[in-house]
Amino acid sequence: MLIEVSGLEKIFPAPFFSRAAPLRALTGVTLAVGPGVLGFEGPNGSGKTTLFKVLAGILETDGGTIAVDGQAAGSARLRALAAFCPPNPRSFYYRLSALENLRFFGALAGISPAQAVERARELGARLALAPADLERRFDRLSEGNMQKVSLVRAFSRRAPLLLLDEPFHGLDEKACAGLIALIAETGRSSTVLLSSHSRALLAAAADKTFRLEAGRLA
Amino acid sequence: MSPARVILAFIRKDFLAESSYRLSFSLGALATLANLAVFYFIGRLFGANLAPQLEAFGTDYFGYVFAALAFFGYIGTGAGSYAGRLREEQTQGTLEATLSTPLGVFPLLAAMSAWNFLFATFELAIYAVAGIFIFKLDFPTANWPAAALVFFLSAACFAALGVLSACFVMLFKRGNPMAWVLNNFEGLLGGVYFPVTVLPAWLAAVSNLLPVTYAVRAFQLALNKGAGVAEIKGDLLVLTAFDILLIPASIWLFGLAVARARKAGTLGEY
Repeated sequence: MLIEVSGLEKIFPAPFFSRAAPLRALTGVTLAVGPGVLGFEGPNGSGKTTLFKVLAGILETDGGTIAVDGQAAGSARLRALAAFCPPNPRSFYYRLSALENLRFFGALAGISPAQAVERARELGARLALAPADLERRFDRLSEGNMQKVSLVRAFSRRAPLLLLDEPFHGLDEKACAGLIALIAETGRSSTVLLSSHSRALLAAAADKTFRLEAGRLA
Repeated sequence: MSPARVILAFIRKDFLAESSYRLSFSLGALATLANLAVFYFIGRLFGANLAPQLEAFGTDYFGYVFAALAFFGYIGTGAGSYAGRLREEQTQGTLEATLSTPLGVFPLLAAMSAWNFLFATFELAIYAVAGIFIFKLDFPTANWPAAALVFFLSAACFAALGVLSACFVMLFKRGNPMAWVLNNFEGLLGGVYFPVTVLPAWLAAVSNLLPVTYAVRAFQLALNKGAGVAEIKGDLLVLTAFDILLIPASIWLFGLAVARARKAGTLGEY
């Protein structure tokens, strides 16, 4: 699958009745990516998360085009193609177990309960997430284990486009190694984009790294 | 993706989350009974005398308010639950994750409040059991098919109002004028606690603008007076008109509200 992004713009409007100026988060981002692993680095606020959310179809663009295999792709098509792992775990139901969360979000992506459980166990093992932690209530997990569950949710979609925003955040050494191996494996058939502030981890996981600065590719 | 599977997933998730607060779960059912008891004793205070305004419905005060509370308790679920659920998803941070999947607006709406409707059905059963076995109520003349038709039309209408209310939550998070009207005026002006004929003319005119007025009146007449479809056709037509207008409008506007939130980048905000 070839994803072509051209002149991408994203401007966040100022809140109603505020005197603040709109925030220009992406300015003319252009890139073309196929299967493989691409890294993104850049300072805080440079637009990495915004770019990933636009490519995941979570945000609508304000300009520019996104095409998948030569066909213009709107946000609904991107949501069907992409899986996004957010940079923090505040996107789960804290009163439910990790496994119940994965069953729920799996159902929204068309994954059967049995498949969701099977993939959770398989991917959990790759990321050094103990089976007991999958059964534990989400709010009783450590931050690192929450991050692993978030990664399992994204990988279990088996999406052609995988967007991992700060995927190494909070992970121990063993889990980082497992994640790097999983990313490499996934990148053979899918497009994997990942962001990190660690150049060493980006170098270990990505074939090539782009730098974003003030919403532009440097 | 099967919509039925999505609905089941939401029901399972909400059941697990709600039942994890065990005390609140049990107290909810108990509160329903306590609420009914208040009106039972008010009814006993005034005896079995028929107030002139209740003559049209052929029942005493408790019979009237029991039917209205059971009915409004269910249809009111649609009015309140969409905005409530959406707000919960915003504050938990799960809204953006839910809407980052291929889930469309219509399946989301169908699934989001499914648990609330299921729980409201359970509460309705509590009302029925309490009405029969504790309060010894009987509805010998009830026209159940007509009552069911009113119930269906009203539930759809209130669900549409609830979806409109959810649009405000999607856009403004807090500060929901639709919920404010529904919470504060439907009970007062809709004939839930007393027939609207008690109201002065100018307030009765306002109550005629609200679907709840037609819903409660038609339901009371079908249940307590055995009125058939022909006798309540005026109320049924008004409810149908509200449905035809509100259901497509609410779904369309909710879709626009989601698109606006995607554009403004506020799906993850609370």
